[in-house]
Amino acid sequence: MLRKKRREEEESEINITPMMDIVFIMLIFFIVTTSFIKETGINPNRPEAETAIRAEQGNILIAISPSDQIWMNKRPIELEAVKIMIEAAHAENPESSVVIVADELASTGLVLDVMDQIRSSGISKISLSARKK
Amino acid sequence: MKRKYKRKKDESEINITPLLDIVFIMLIFFIVTTSFVKEISLDVNRPTKSPVKEQKRSEVISVRISAEGQIFVQERLVDIAAVRANIESNLAIKPSASVVIVSDRDADAGFLVKVIDQSRLAGAKNVSLAAQK
Repeated sequence: MLRKKRREEEESEINITPMMDIVFIMLIFFIVTTSFIKETGINPNRPEAETAIRAEQGNILIAISPSDQIWMNKRPIELEAVKIMIEAAHAENPESSVVIVADELASTGLVLDVMDQIRSSGISKISLSARKK
Repeated sequence: MKRKYKRKKDESEINITPLLDIVFIMLIFFIVTTSFVKEISLDVNRPTKSPVKEQKRSEVISVRISAEGQIFVQERLVDIAAVRANIESNLAIKPSASVVIVSDRDADAGFLVKVIDQSRLAGAKNVSLAAQK
């Protein structure tokens, strides 16, 4: 009597342990690989470059439009606000570096001004976005 | 007999359904928020405003970009396609020289990236930027 009951119960239950294993592995994978890139709000036309490499830690993005507007976190900002915005973003993620996404037609002076602002906020790893040739 | 068995089994099992719910919700959250987009970029080296050390003129290959996008290597007007060859020949004379790109404020950022790219391709180890007032 007892034996029969046991077997019945074993058959009716689905073993969910392998599924749990896979779900946990996927969860850990996504937690580790997630990097919260904040979109700049515009998509400038990046200049072409052959020596450009993938920025591994580049997740503070700051864009410069062809008409020399600075965009960050989906809204246009003033040059004076760049330093504060970068400092706030850097405090959230101390390992990050800054990538400037400048349009081909943006003026060099503004790019260098933005670079100076980023530098004065204490980040020395700055890179210029480009498109692979 | 039968009754006793059943109760014992119920008590010994931990209910993992809420755990599964939470794990699935976290998994979905991370899948949705993950963005694998990485910016392709060029690292740039911008000298700080305070003069650190004066580099000897003989150790510098100066590349000037005018407001109209004309490129001068060592004060000689060259075409964008010839920048690499010019820097290479200058590097052959002075192997330890660093390339300093002096750009006019009104020049396009596209030219700046192209010149950085070309000097990297020419094998310059140290490329730095400066703005012309």
